[in-house]
Amino acid sequence: MQFRLVRYFTLASLGMFALVALSLFYFERQQGDFFRQTGDDQRTFFGEVQQSFAKQQEESARRDLLTIHEAGNVNLTRLFANALWEKDFAPFVAQAQTIDAKACHAMADVTDDKGKKAASPEKKACFAEIGKRIAALPDFKSIDAKVFASMKKSTVFKIKVFDLRGITVYSSEHAQMGEDKSTNAGWRSAAFDGVPKSELTHRGKFSAFEGVVENRDLISSYLPVLEPGTSRIVGVFEVYSDVTPFLKQIQQTSEQIRATAAGNQAKLEAAAIENQAAVDATSYRQFATIGLLLVLLFAALLAIVRRAEKIILQQEADRAHAHQQLAQSEKMASLGQMVAGVAHQLNTPLAFSQNNILMVKDALQSMELPMKVAGKLSTILEDVEGDKVTIKVSQLKANLDKLQEGNVDVTMLQEMLKDVLGGIDQMSELVVNLRDFTRLDRAATTNADLNKSLHTVAYIAQTVIPKNIELVEDYGDLPDVECNPSQLNQVFLNLINNAAQAIDGPGRIRIRSVAEGDQVRVEVQDNGRGIPDDVLPHIFDLYYTTKPAGEGTGLGLAIARNIVTEHGGDITVSTRIGVGTTFTVTLPVRQQPPLAKAA
Amino acid sequence: MTRLAGKVLCVDDEPGIVRSLQWLLQKQFEVLTATSGAEALELVKQHDFDVVISDQRMPTMTGVEVLREVRKLSPRTMRILLTGYSDMQAIVRSVNESEVFRFINKPWNIAELPKVVAQAITIAKTQPVEAPAPEISEDAPIIANGERILVIDDDPEMGRAVSDLVGASAKVSFTRNLADAVGILNSEQVSVIVSETRVGTIDATRLVRLMKSKHPEIVTVMLTAESDADTITTLINQGQIYRFVPKPIRTGYLKLVLQSALRKHSALASDPALTFRHTVEATSAGAMESLISDVQLAAPQAETAAAAKSGGFMASLGAGFRRIFGAG
Repeated sequence: MQFRLVRYFTLASLGMFALVALSLFYFERQQGDFFRQTGDDQRTFFGEVQQSFAKQQEESARRDLLTIHEAGNVNLTRLFANALWEKDFAPFVAQAQTIDAKACHAMADVTDDKGKKAASPEKKACFAEIGKRIAALPDFKSIDAKVFASMKKSTVFKIKVFDLRGITVYSSEHAQMGEDKSTNAGWRSAAFDGVPKSELTHRGKFSAFEGVVENRDLISSYLPVLEPGTSRIVGVFEVYSDVTPFLKQIQQTSEQIRATAAGNQAKLEAAAIENQAAVDATSYRQFATIGLLLVLLFAALLAIVRRAEKIILQQEADRAHAHQQLAQSEKMASLGQMVAGVAHQLNTPLAFSQNNILMVKDALQSMELPMKVAGKLSTILEDVEGDKVTIKVSQLKANLDKLQEGNVDVTMLQEMLKDVLGGIDQMSELVVNLRDFTRLDRAATTNADLNKSLHTVAYIAQTVIPKNIELVEDYGDLPDVECNPSQLNQVFLNLINNAAQAIDGPGRIRIRSVAEGDQVRVEVQDNGRGIPDDVLPHIFDLYYTTKPAGEGTGLGLAIARNIVTEHGGDITVSTRIGVGTTFTVTLPVRQQPPLAKAA
Repeated sequence: MTRLAGKVLCVDDEPGIVRSLQWLLQKQFEVLTATSGAEALELVKQHDFDVVISDQRMPTMTGVEVLREVRKLSPRTMRILLTGYSDMQAIVRSVNESEVFRFINKPWNIAELPKVVAQAITIAKTQPVEAPAPEISEDAPIIANGERILVIDDDPEMGRAVSDLVGASAKVSFTRNLADAVGILNSEQVSVIVSETRVGTIDATRLVRLMKSKHPEIVTVMLTAESDADTITTLINQGQIYRFVPKPIRTGYLKLVLQSALRKHSALASDPALTFRHTVEATSAGAMESLISDVQLAAPQAETAAAAKSGGFMASLGAGFRRIFGAG
């Protein structure tokens, strides 16, 4: 499975950048919301503070107004009491006291629809009757005139006087005379506790000394009347004074404060909106900048990664190429080794055959003269009738040396030629084995007799490995195996060569073959050094070699395993240090269809 | 038929080869054969052979091993190694352990082989045998009497290593080019040459071969990083190199080699007759001329810049060559 660097990088980094952007956006939003919230809270708080400040200011102004007026009314009452009580009101109140009000008091109250107790109309009428009787008293007119005279042109709008029973014994508004105030909290405070009680009220319509007035703010104070010189409460005044202008002033001030507060609030609001806009703008700029930077980063990384992928692909291609070349050179090296071995193997029969033939040739040359002599003799003998011939030997004697030299041992020559024939047999055996080994003239995949292949490989290997290593061939009955014999030959030769290299000095390599069901097993066993534990896990690794640099490519076993695996087989190793190593190749007898083409 | 009184043993595990050799040699010499190392050594114990010819590749015992044992059992016997293909390691061992007289390649020349054997037999019969060298340990100091050792190598380390090993007991001259080497050989009495096979771009083996053919008492030790079997085969046959030291050099081994080289030289110098045992093949014609021209080409880079500047250098170089090797 190919690792697609650029694609994975693009997906991963775009995803990551999107996440970063999203989280940035989220936190920006959070921050903005927080600012807005805080601003809103602050403004609300500020508004509330201002409101409460205005309210407090107004309340305190009102309270001050009330206090001042109450104090003023108390003084007024004193003055009034000093001026009128002793001479006029005391006797008048005493007279009014004589009018019995018990009957009226005894009348039951009614509960109105708001659940409050109030005097029934009959009770009110009863008290109004008492008021009329008081007003009918002889001193009333003069007192009323005096009160009006002294109160005219003042801020006092109304004066009432109550006796200690709570009966209104005098009111500048005559209609109210006789009313019962015994349940009124203000009256009770003044009459029983001697504490003045004031109240600010707004009246739509009010009958004052000067006549009926409208829309007035009034302070009404219940004030105890003390007997001059003592602290004994003898009655209660109620004084209504007009505070409308003051109240207006207070309200105006309050309005002003409110207006200022609202103005401040509005300014704050505007500033907040401006701030928010500035913050938003900054945050958008920030966002845009970060986004741009992320895009730049992505572009730069993408460029780097693309370049890297290009380089990696190039390196991969180079590596594959180098690997291919190495595999080729490995093949060439083992081929070269094989050729050297074969050349040597060929040299031996070649050497003695050449030697013998040259000697036979020389011998034949030296036989030329004796043969000629013998030939001539036979011709002479042919023409001769009878059984005697006379030969002049003087000429022949001169060449006797040459004749004797030609008198070679023909048996020896025959022996020599027999050896030559043996040598030729050896050479042709070698050629046949070479052809069987390379199989250049055969189909790649075929049903092969593995034992024959193994024997060929063993024969070839014998020429290469040291002569003091014995090759023992031990072949069981095998079915024909569907395989690429040329490739398997390479594997077996490699295993035998390795085995030979594991042996120092004399040793033995045993090649076995066994059929096992639908599999065949080939073992190459040596009695060499064995493979150390730290080497064993790596022996099939590509480029792993224990030989010095330049001597081994580290491809032999890797290629061997590749070939065996492509055949659907398996290659295993078992080893014991100092005892030897066994490589076992297991091959299926029949190839799986998809694998058949790979073999 | 004239049979030279000479006894030859042929050893090869291939019966065809030994029969062949027997047929070839039996006209002139008494030939015995063996098809294994053990059998051969048994025969060597029973007979007094002048020459043993052994194949290298044999089971149980290699040719080098057989010849090494032969050298121990019968030092006067001349040893010839027969090789089918060139196994570098075997060749180096044959030089250093068995001190072989010749390498013979398969297939052999049927006209030459009997001549080589005849020469070997003559030497074996007529030339005295060196006293067998005692075993030398690596710790023993080098014994020398002011002999001169010439070191020819591109690597200055080599000169220093040799100087360190011999100390004050011998003089060491180091040079990095052959022109200087020729100059030194001309002016000094050199006992041992320690040379790389290739100096700069020039094949130095020719110098060694030529030197040996004219001055057989000089003992040569070759150093090499390369492993060209043919070069070494030629060196042994034409240069009778005494030892062969593969690079990288192991100091202890170099010391042993120098030690025995110096001893060998003193033996050769005291008894010139011994040098016949190291007779070389005739160097191929033209070797000297090609060497001279190569050296002259390389001479401008020579370290003896002063000598190079003097106008007569080339002439003196040529004269030097001729004086050493004898013109023609």
